[in-house]
Parts: sequence; structure tokens; C-alpha cells
Amino acid sequence: MGIQALMAVTAVTETQDLVTLVPWTFIITICNLFIQVFLIKKFLFKPINNILEKRQNLADKVIKEAREAKEEADSLKDQYESSLTNAHAEAAQIVQDAQKEAQTKADALVQDAQKQATDIKAKAAADIEQEKKKAINEAKDEIGGLAMDIAGKVVEKEINENDHKKLIEDFISKVGA
Amino acid sequence: MSKEFSVVGPKIYATIRTGIPILGDIKITETIIVSWIVMLIITALCIFLTWDLKVENISKRQAFAEMLVEMGNNFVRNNTGSTKFDKLIPFVSALFITSVVSNLISLIGLRSPTADLSTEAAWATVVFIMITATKIKTNGLGGYLKGFTTPIAVMTPFNILSELATPVSMACRHFGNILSGVVIDGLIYWALGLASSALLGLIPGAVGGFLSKIPVLGVGLPAITGVYFDWFSGCMQAFIFCMLTIMYIANAAEEG
Repeated sequence: MGIQALMAVTAVTETQDLVTLVPWTFIITICNLFIQVFLIKKFLFKPINNILEKRQNLADKVIKEAREAKEEADSLKDQYESSLTNAHAEAAQIVQDAQKEAQTKADALVQDAQKQATDIKAKAAADIEQEKKKAINEAKDEIGGLAMDIAGKVVEKEINENDHKKLIEDFISKVGA
Repeated sequence: MSKEFSVVGPKIYATIRTGIPILGDIKITETIIVSWIVMLIITALCIFLTWDLKVENISKRQAFAEMLVEMGNNFVRNNTGSTKFDKLIPFVSALFITSVVSNLISLIGLRSPTADLSTEAAWATVVFIMITATKIKTNGLGGYLKGFTTPIAVMTPFNILSELATPVSMACRHFGNILSGVVIDGLIYWALGLASSALLGLIPGAVGGFLSKIPVLGVGLPAITGVYFDWFSGCMQAFIFCMLTIMYIANAAEEG
């Protein structure tokens, strides 16, 4: 048995026409619609939109913070990199300077040593030369003296044959001395 | 067992005599009572869904509520292509959910408020006023009135007719679909009742006489046909009504 048919049979209350416009129902429905709009706005859209907005703000904040942190990290990184590069350059400079200085010092030392050696050599040569001259001069003097002595002795021999032997001995002993 | 089938309008529970000439008496009908129930259901649902909202670590309930709100927002924004109709979102959403719940409340045995032309006529009238107001706001009153004489002045009556056809067609489309669902459901139950009574009436004696009064065949088939006539048709008509509402209002704002 159909529900509608049952209604038709058992309905004790009167029913309105199936297709009709009832003014009061019309007005009440309009009111109901606006009340429903208000209720939905108040109980669904307002709180949910509120929460969505809050979450949006939160997400924006987090993203903003992350971006800031990243920027800071980037700048720090740049700073470190540049200071590292500087340090590298500085170290290289220091090493280079040290090498140069060492080279200069070594060069100077070698030059000094060479100069000193040359000086010493020159002085030694000069000394030798002087000694040589001196020796030659001495030898000349000696030879001259000797010749004079010999010449004297030759002259004395004429005078005394006997003294000859003695003279030679004297000479030899003198030369030996 | 009735051999006749008939569909009747909503029951009138009470009549308040007012004596106002045109409006007549206030009749508390099934339509009004059930529409209050619908409003109660929707409001209770809203309060339930938005109870204890959190910004983070949300519950499934809140996620569902947020999804509904986002759906409403997207529905209006996608169909108008902008965010300048955002203040219409609660209205369209209310219209949609009221329509859906009203259509589907017939599933629990109550009579749909939408099976009463007064309901749809009221909604369509509100929508019509909104369309007209938007048109006047966009083009000015002069521009709105002048719009009726385009392209030539002779067209004026037809333009007025087509303008009035908008709410009438909206109301009648929705009403017709829901009423046809009511009629078809009624017919199916009636036919199945007759069939089961005839089938069980074959059992002789008092047992057959008793069993033939129970419409056993009414279990099952209406659930399947109801998928289309109640669920699909109910949701579809609500969707079409809201879609048309938002389209008409968006069009009204673009003219001129």
C-alpha cells in the first residue's frame, strides 16, 4: 500500500492543492531562507573562514620566517666565503712575502760571502805579493851582501893564504847562522 | 487495499484566521513544519561541524567543514570567474543545502518542502529580486528599463516575458522534478503493494489474508529506483537551481 494512497485514505486533516501557491507559505519560506542564510553564515562560514584565515596567516608567517632565515644564512655564507677567500689570499701573500724575504736574505748572504771571499782572496794575493817582494828584496840584499862578502873575501885571500881556509869556514858558519 | 492511486498536497495541520484579504489565512502545513525540521538539521549540523575548531592538527570533522566551505567558495568563484560575488557565498550555500536536505528528507518518510510550489516560488522570487537589483545596480534604473526595448522597441513585451520566465522556469523546474519523484515513488510503492497483495493472496485461508496486507515486495526495489528519483534528482535540482542563481546574477553584473 502506497504512502500517498494511505494518506488519501486515512487523512482526517484537510490537505492543500497539489500545485498551488500559498501566500503565507511563500512569505514564511522567504523568511526561513534568510534565517537559514544568517545561521549558515554565523555557524559555518564565519568560524571556518576565521580558522582558514588564521591558518593562512600562520603559514605566511612561517614562510616569511623561513625566507628571512634563509636570507640570513645566505648572507652569512657569503660573508664566510669572502672571508675564507681573503684568508686564503692573505696566507698566499704571507708565504710569498716570506719566500721573497728569504730569497732576498739568502741572496744578500751569498753576495756578502762572495764579496768577503773575494776580499780575502784579494788580500791574500796582495799579502803574497808583498811577501814575495819582501823575500825577493831580502834575497837581493842577501845576495848583494854575499857578493860583497865574497868580493871582500876574494880581496882578503890575496893578502893571506892561510886565512883563506878560516875565511871560508867563517862564511859557511855565517851563512849557516 | 486501495485500488485507486492519488497524490495529494501537503497536509494542513492548523489554520490561523487572519482576515487579511489577499494573503488569506495562515495555514501551518506539512511544508512549513518540515522546512523547520530541515533548518534545525542544517543548523545543528553546522554547529556540530564547527565545534572546537583548531588551527593546527584538525579533526576529520573540521576538515569536512573546511571542505564544505571551500566547496562553496570555489563554486561561486569558479562560476562567476571572480571574487566580487563573495558576499553571495553564504546565500548560495544556504540555498543549496536547504534544497538538498529538503529534497532528501523524503527518504525518512517526511514530505519534502520542495514538493510544494510555494517553496520554490519563494526562492525563485528572492533570486529574481537579486538579479534585478544587480542589473539596476550595474546599469542604473534608466539603463535597466532601457534594456527592455533592445534591440527594437517592439520587443518590449517579449523581453518582459523572458525576464519573468526566469523565476517561473526556475521554480517550476525544481518543483516539477521533486514532485515527479514523489509521484513515481508513490506509484512504485502502490504498484508493489498491489503486487505483493496479489502474490500473497494466493496463500489460502486466514494466513494469506493476513500476509497479503504486508507489502513485502516494497522492500528492495524502491531503494534502487530511489537512487535516481530521490538522491540524484534531489541533488541535481539543488545544484541546477544554485548554478542558475549564480550565473544569472553574474550575467546581470556584466551587462552594459
